[in-house]
Amino acid sequence: MEKAEVEARIKKVIARVLALDEDEITQEANFIFDLGADSMQSLELVAAFEEEFDIEMEEDEALSAQTVSEAVDFVAKILAKAKKE
Amino acid sequence: MSGIKYKSKEQIERIFYPESVAVVGANRVKGTVPYDMLHNILKDNYKGTVFPVSPREKSIAGVKAYKYVIDIEDEVDMAILVFPSSVCHLALEQCGEKGVKSAIIISAGFREIGGDGVQREKRIKEIADKYGISFIGPNCLGIINTDPGCNLNASFARNMPENGNIAFLSQSGALCTAVLDYARAKHIGFSKFVSFGNKADVSEIDLLYYLKDDPKTKVILLYLEEVSDGRSLMKVSRKIIRESGKPILILKSGRTDEGASAAASHTGSLAGSDDVCDAAFTQAGIIRCDTIEDMFNFAIGLVYQPLPRGNRVAIITNAGGPGVLATDMTIKENLSLARFSEKAKEVLKKSLPGTANICNPVDVIGDARVDRYNVALSSVLQDENVDGALVILTPQSMTDIKAIAEEICRISCCYNKPVYASFMGESDVSIGVDILQRRKIPHYQLPENMCKAFARSYRFNRQLKKEYTAAVVFKDVDTDRAHTILNEAIMNDRWFLSEAETVNIMEAYKMPVLPGILAVSEKDVGRIAGSLGYPVVMKVSSEKIVHKSDVGGVILNIRDGKEAEAAYQTILNKVSRTVPDARINGVFIQKMAAEGEEVILGLKRDPSFGSVIMFGLGGIFVEIFRDVSFRVAPIEKNEVAGMVQDIKSYPILTGVRGRSEKDLESLKECIQRLSQLAVECTQISELDINPLIVMDRGKGCYVTDIKIMLGTERRKSCG
Repeated sequence: MEKAEVEARIKKVIARVLALDEDEITQEANFIFDLGADSMQSLELVAAFEEEFDIEMEEDEALSAQTVSEAVDFVAKILAKAKKE
Repeated sequence: MSGIKYKSKEQIERIFYPESVAVVGANRVKGTVPYDMLHNILKDNYKGTVFPVSPREKSIAGVKAYKYVIDIEDEVDMAILVFPSSVCHLALEQCGEKGVKSAIIISAGFREIGGDGVQREKRIKEIADKYGISFIGPNCLGIINTDPGCNLNASFARNMPENGNIAFLSQSGALCTAVLDYARAKHIGFSKFVSFGNKADVSEIDLLYYLKDDPKTKVILLYLEEVSDGRSLMKVSRKIIRESGKPILILKSGRTDEGASAAASHTGSLAGSDDVCDAAFTQAGIIRCDTIEDMFNFAIGLVYQPLPRGNRVAIITNAGGPGVLATDMTIKENLSLARFSEKAKEVLKKSLPGTANICNPVDVIGDARVDRYNVALSSVLQDENVDGALVILTPQSMTDIKAIAEEICRISCCYNKPVYASFMGESDVSIGVDILQRRKIPHYQLPENMCKAFARSYRFNRQLKKEYTAAVVFKDVDTDRAHTILNEAIMNDRWFLSEAETVNIMEAYKMPVLPGILAVSEKDVGRIAGSLGYPVVMKVSSEKIVHKSDVGGVILNIRDGKEAEAAYQTILNKVSRTVPDARINGVFIQKMAAEGEEVILGLKRDPSFGSVIMFGLGGIFVEIFRDVSFRVAPIEKNEVAGMVQDIKSYPILTGVRGRSEKDLESLKECIQRLSQLAVECTQISELDINPLIVMDRGKGCYVTDIKIMLGTERRKSCG
């Protein structure tokens, strides 16, 4: 899957979970500082990404992604690894 | 320590008196820290402007919210950060850009969790320094300023405390909420209330400097878990007490000490960090408390009433037993029962029933009503022989508790003498206790605690009157000579000095050391001993052997050459059997001291307070009797006598049971010279002079056995 597609789908998920407009979600946006996610919402986001991409993510590792671009990289990496296998 | 720059009054003022506050990271979820922080500021009627900053909310609690602090059009004096620790640096960076100059970082997850937390704390400190932001925290409860002109409850405590004159500073946030609840029940008010958490920027020392000149604060309470800069704490405390006359009460947890057991010297093993802390606090005039209850018991006495001018107390009671308990504690605390004037006795006799006791304690008898308390309290307070009154009440069926409490408050206002009260019991007396507490009469449930509190106030007043003198600086010492010896040992990677070197250091500081020479072969022994003059003492010289007598390495009272040669061989044989791998330099021969009283002098370098001097009764049982006293160097001139008098066996030195008085002046000079050595030769980590022989008055002292150890880091590396 192209990285641009991953990014677009991730933004959609974030907008849905955090009830935001997609255009508020920039690549550099920090989930907590810019998008206002609290700890429960951060866990909801991890679960939503797993469902969206049909992948499994290690929770602590996933939560260490603090910005949208870090989350895109993280998901893209897992998808690439799954494709290889 | 002298290079540390503390916060200015203006920098701390911006934290206590901001005109506008941004709560950065606020939310709408009741019962969470981000919400409660904002809610407390709003509900407690803060006099400034509040700006909630929340990435997602348009308004919180009816107040317009901003996405970022930089979006706020107006100036922001202070930011309160309630974001998770992982993004605090982002929030603080924006605060810097906005021109915010003070902050409170409530968030946890910094130095206290180790690992990444340490890095996070370093990062926020760097950002704060870059923008000149002074901040409290992180990992704290926040601050409260009850000054009606500000009314700021920037904390997540449940309630704003009453306005008062006590400042409370605490390293523990959780303790703060318990203290607020305790104080609220007793109507104890605060001027400033601070939970300073990890003190990454603003420390307790900064806050103390500010409180020194805070007109709203009359007493300062401090709860500490660690004393990270003991010398600065002593310095600022002395300054506050001397210049502002404000008492400082400290509750420091962690009285146990594991480190002392690993020490190599007597001083090292006796000077545990808590003993040092105790001594340093006393030296600085700080009142150390064992419990929170003690702390507030003492504080209300100090803040509500005038300080006792003397220690003569009058006890008024309606019950004999509690009167006796109070009398016992009065005497134990070095107070005295006032002897009433004839005039006072006459009034008491005329006004009280024949069965009443008109001597001190005044027993107004169990059926006393307000009239008897009135006459007793007024009479004793008018008496010039009385410095303060302690009023006890037990609730009988006819005791008019409310009226008596009101009368105590009324009479207390008429005299410039302290009045403390103890209404014993709980439920029946509560109506009277409430009146006393609201009208600032220090009240104690137990009369013993009342006496203890009165005694602390009296001692504090004495402390205020104490004259301070600088430490004596002897000009005849040869510091360069001492440094040369110490630095050479360090360069050669040695951590114990030899006998000859220790004697040399003592001579450089004009300590009265007995002459001694190292003999390296048996044939030299007779000549050396003869030149020193018999009797002599001979001791093995080896860097590996610290406690020489334990391995048979010391022989005393050698009277001629033949005995000296025999002693030489005996020492070598015994030591080589007991410590076969020790490299022996020879045998140190020293003139034997005449008989006198054996005391110990020592020095230890404490990581927080620096050089600490120890004095006590000497000999090999010093660790068993533990009859020692400590002072932080340099010891002020008028502290030296107190240090000598502090030990229980002091009367032995002044001459008891037919023994002659010892040379205390010479002893005091030795302590002062050692204090100077401690300050000037920081290479020394531990030093023992055991024993120092104190001769009869006018005959001086003699330093006999000395051990000097260098830096502890070196010792660790030597295994």
